[in-house]
Amino acid sequence: MSAALLACLDAAVAARARRRRRPLRDTIAALAAAAERWRDDEALRAELPTAAHLSPEMIAAIVPIAAEALDAAAMTELVEREWGAGAAARPVPDGPALVAQVLASNVPALALPAIALGCLAGAAVLVKSGRDDPLSAPAFQRALAAVDPELAATVVTAYWRGGAVASEGALLGRAQVVVVSGGDATLAALAPRLGDRLVAHGPRWSVAVISRESPGDADAVALDVALHDQRGCLSPHAVYVATDARGFAERLAAALAAMAERLPPGPASVEARAGARLEAAEAEWAPGAVISRGPGGIVIHEIADTFRPTRGLRTVRVHPLPDPRALPELLRAGQVECVGIAGVDAATLVPTLRARGVSRLCPVGRMQRPPLSWPRGQLPPLGALLGRSAEPLIEVEP
Amino acid sequence: MTLEAELTAAIEDAGRGAPAPDFEPWALRVFAHQFEQNAPYRAFCARRGVTPANVGHWEDVPAVPSAAFRRADLACGPPEAIFRTSGTTGGADTRGHHRVPHLALYRASALAGFARFVLPDGFRLPCLCLVPPPALRPDSSLVQMCVWVGEALAAGVEWFVGERGLETERLLGRLTAAEASGEALLLVGVTAAFAQLFDTCRARARAFRLGPASRVVDTGGMKGMTRPLSRPGFLHECWTLLGVPGYYCVNEYGMTELCSQRYDSVLDDRFHGRSLAPRRLVAPPWLRTRVLDPDTLAPVVPGAAGLLCHHDLANAGSVSVVLSEDLGRAAGDDGIELLGRASGTPPRGCGLLLADLEPS
Repeated sequence: MSAALLACLDAAVAARARRRRRPLRDTIAALAAAAERWRDDEALRAELPTAAHLSPEMIAAIVPIAAEALDAAAMTELVEREWGAGAAARPVPDGPALVAQVLASNVPALALPAIALGCLAGAAVLVKSGRDDPLSAPAFQRALAAVDPELAATVVTAYWRGGAVASEGALLGRAQVVVVSGGDATLAALAPRLGDRLVAHGPRWSVAVISRESPGDADAVALDVALHDQRGCLSPHAVYVATDARGFAERLAAALAAMAERLPPGPASVEARAGARLEAAEAEWAPGAVISRGPGGIVIHEIADTFRPTRGLRTVRVHPLPDPRALPELLRAGQVECVGIAGVDAATLVPTLRARGVSRLCPVGRMQRPPLSWPRGQLPPLGALLGRSAEPLIEVEP
Repeated sequence: MTLEAELTAAIEDAGRGAPAPDFEPWALRVFAHQFEQNAPYRAFCARRGVTPANVGHWEDVPAVPSAAFRRADLACGPPEAIFRTSGTTGGADTRGHHRVPHLALYRASALAGFARFVLPDGFRLPCLCLVPPPALRPDSSLVQMCVWVGEALAAGVEWFVGERGLETERLLGRLTAAEASGEALLLVGVTAAFAQLFDTCRARARAFRLGPASRVVDTGGMKGMTRPLSRPGFLHECWTLLGVPGYYCVNEYGMTELCSQRYDSVLDDRFHGRSLAPRRLVAPPWLRTRVLDPDTLAPVVPGAAGLLCHHDLANAGSVSVVLSEDLGRAAGDDGIELLGRASGTPPRGCGLLLADLEPS
């Protein structure tokens, strides 16, 4: 496997060298067109539910969201933000010849932003798919080949079982930058071998905070929880509510039940189902806790306010928090990626949440729709691939 | 005579060959006792509308999650002992604690099970414990059991785990002496300690042939181990490095929250003419285990995987029905097979006794 892949990598790097003089807008146009083709790939939509352990309805909901992020205007804005006005009309600045993207398996379609960012950085891209989505990356490469074969030739997609040290080392060894998304064990295994070439994205979670509740907020949070069956780092695991947390918990439980009709949960392992069951069973013993368990998920109204991630499967804690400005104190640094907000002045939270490692603030209901410009891990999306240092970034979506 | 004393006597009698306590009547009596004496458990049952008046079968007695032992004092009276789970994260406050008001009942159950499944031949062997002594871990239910085994079922007890972990040199010396004299030994310890012993033996190219009828009892599984060791691999090491054949290697499954234990069926089967029966974890008659669907908590179809829910009459002093964090399936008519743990459950259990001692 590795010999053939190494040859593919050599060919991709050579293709990248041939393309270097073209303006970025050509790349942007090709990526946007490929995203539309990928979105409409019926074979992919048919096969992805089984591979990703998500319901067909869920796949139908999240495929357009993933494609939408590769919007031409948004990509243009991104390159101009990082490389200055007119960047889209120029060739890409000097950067790595090959970027490797090792994807996690918790969420499907991670290949799209991974490939797009690599291409926008002017690199050839090796994408190692996650175990539960070996389909999206090759499907996107096929779509890209249909609109821009030269750009598609700079992309290599592969899947191998993590931990095959010899071949993994040979493949990742070719890359100047290796972006790894995954669990602690994956990162611990790769970090010593990759050194400062590694850009690591470890396990993270998200929360929402509601100061003045508006009609529809419970539905919006339920959507954020349900999308991807709460498996992503942007999935909220806790909601902090300034007034009537108990009532909000009831409304959220009802909204989750309704959401389960629209977006049915995918199949879950006995280990995961047991974990969720035990989480609810244990919560019952916390002082003042009220548990609502139904087909839509589990809502735990809990007085204690320290953030603890749940075990997933649409399980959310709702905590009373009279003053939302106290939220950052409840989060351990580096634990939370995104904060969904409702009725909160984002400006009052930005400095302290940035210090806690949060990279995104957005309205509830939008948490699972990060743009390509999302500074994941507080890193500039393109600058991180070029090794450019920057102040920790936080993006606020109005 | 208290209920606990009566049950203790019945279990001791069963250990001497009398019929075992009749499970269902005892289960209902014990539930009524716990409902009356254990306030947090009574509140838990009341929230479900369950009282002794409307429970007609042992399967209907409400189960508490083992995590509840971290949150509440689930005892029917002042404890004679408090046992705590082992674990490497969270500190003592987050560890489960089992308050045992009647230590004699735990002793009776533990010894009867050990005698039946580990020493069916009635041999009294020197017991070498690969766990910390009670002075180091007075709150370990496994250590307490080893003390009792040493006193009641063995020809003395020796401890081979100190403040710095497994005392390998001393243990190797003791094994050398036993091998030279042909003495049979009873080795009891956490699986991780045996794995350390095996690693040392391999590193020094040292293997022992312990006396016939020597046996190994291990517990704790993979927890706390620095490298994977499969069950067949463990049994292979017992044979090649200690000279103890697989049918004398008995795995124990226990929980701090339970006063009874399950054991590998292998030795009991061998002594009762069932040598071809598959290995499974079996229990004395006063411990029953159901395999439950995590979503519904209804029993799964035979052979399917689910959460293990234990009903231990010997837990009469606290709560008898405990929903564990372990996954398993039914094996044969009387046993279970352990499959793993529920997602997101923190490491815990006696397998971490060594890890607790050794700063990482």
